[in-house]
Amino acid sequence: MADVKKHDTPMCDELKSGPWPSFVDDIEQKGLQGKQACLDLLGQLELSYVHKETHWKHGGIVGVFGYGGGVIGRYSDAPEQFPAVAHFHTIRVNQPASKFYNSAFLRKLCDMWDHRGSGMTNLHGSTGDMVLLGTTTDQLEPVFYDLTHQMSVDLGGSGSNLRTPSCCVGRARCEWSCLDTQAICYDLTQTYQDELHRPAFPYKFKFKVSGCPNDCVAAIARSCCSIIGTWKDDIRIDQEAVKAYIGGELKPNAGAHSDRDWGAFDIQKEVIDLCPTKCMWMEGDELKIDNRECTRCMHCINVMPEALRPGTDTGATILVGAKAPILEGAQMSTLAIPFIRMEPPFDEFKEFVDKIWDWWMEEGKNRERFGELIQRQSLQEFIRRAELKPIPQMVKEPRSNPYVFWSEDEVEGGWKRDIKAFRARHAA
Amino acid sequence: MAVDLEELKQKILEFATKKAKHKSKMYIKDLYKADPNAKPREIKKAANQLVQEGKLEFFSSGSTTMYGVPGFGKSEEDQFGKLEE
Repeated sequence: MADVKKHDTPMCDELKSGPWPSFVDDIEQKGLQGKQACLDLLGQLELSYVHKETHWKHGGIVGVFGYGGGVIGRYSDAPEQFPAVAHFHTIRVNQPASKFYNSAFLRKLCDMWDHRGSGMTNLHGSTGDMVLLGTTTDQLEPVFYDLTHQMSVDLGGSGSNLRTPSCCVGRARCEWSCLDTQAICYDLTQTYQDELHRPAFPYKFKFKVSGCPNDCVAAIARSCCSIIGTWKDDIRIDQEAVKAYIGGELKPNAGAHSDRDWGAFDIQKEVIDLCPTKCMWMEGDELKIDNRECTRCMHCINVMPEALRPGTDTGATILVGAKAPILEGAQMSTLAIPFIRMEPPFDEFKEFVDKIWDWWMEEGKNRERFGELIQRQSLQEFIRRAELKPIPQMVKEPRSNPYVFWSEDEVEGGWKRDIKAFRARHAA
Repeated sequence: MAVDLEELKQKILEFATKKAKHKSKMYIKDLYKADPNAKPREIKKAANQLVQEGKLEFFSSGSTTMYGVPGFGKSEEDQFGKLEE
């Protein structure tokens, strides 16, 4: 055993007894190989369990020279007891689009981090970054040098910056993808380098790109600007494959959920009746779809992937304003643009982004997310500033949720009227 | 009309230094007041250049980034302690 000191951690140790692999096991194992920081981390965690409060102090350092993000300063408030985690900064590393790596890269990253940090990583953080957990201030510049010069990766976003854009696997491996998600993610990352590395906004801003409405990166729930692939034309149908599903030759859901016997596949019960807009029906042994009514929910395509495929006239739906529940509760994105072409250099999309950023930078309060600005100033104001045309899909509940208002100049006579003349025509 | 960048940097620095005497950390939105005629993007660009030049400094909580003037408020070492060699 290496020359390290293990703290007494009975409560942490209890977490090792569950049925799943425990982070305590992993951290302890790494510590016993010679990383005192890992053992001090567990010691401090135990102390936090005893006191029922954190012993971390956050803040200060934001990055390396020239960067206003990418490093989250973290300090122990019990450095005498746990000196190896007195400084324990987190480094966010911008992941490659769709998180494709080769093993040589990962080995190099781990070797570098073993040398310059705690050896602990979190692949990946919620935003998508590779997260390197725990190093000291004097190691920040050397880590940055190694990342950029030896591994060709950059720091990710933190603070009031654009956060690291992230995307699903896209066309690289998914036949449903209506977008080249990786091209979009890479282009946004390169275009908005300044916003990504230097604070520009009232608070964080996130782009997430999903290739189809299955939305595998949960863009609709987690990003200020969700880019979700969709199609304009008809769902492609292979009627022979439909028959094969009905006849049992093909397994529904590509064989998923087959760990128990659900009985014979019933297209009526499992597909047609579950269509949210009821736009599907059988005519004899042929499946019919009224594509005008389809809301691109993907259910039928997910159940019968060999019979049904998205159309070929593809683009993206843009939604804005999702966030986690700090203020006013969690919020899903609101539809902004039902269909936009997403071909390089994505100029039309970037013009939209410039407009909404201008509005947010001018009007957003400190620590106000983009979605909260829309809530505060109304969707109508968002539509005006983004120079969009109001459409029915933006109205969640007509009457009870009147997002679209008239402005005074759109109403004959404005807001002023002669109440006596009005009452002469209308009884009170 | 575009604002002269050097002139804007000077205005921001004067504004931030004056404000730092009362409150050492400020949001980018606070710096907008340094020149109400300048656009937010111009302020952001000028403020970030001042950081590059070492005349302003960033402070981050991890989720939000603020600006400070070096020498005002607590230093990194004061706040978090110096790492032992």
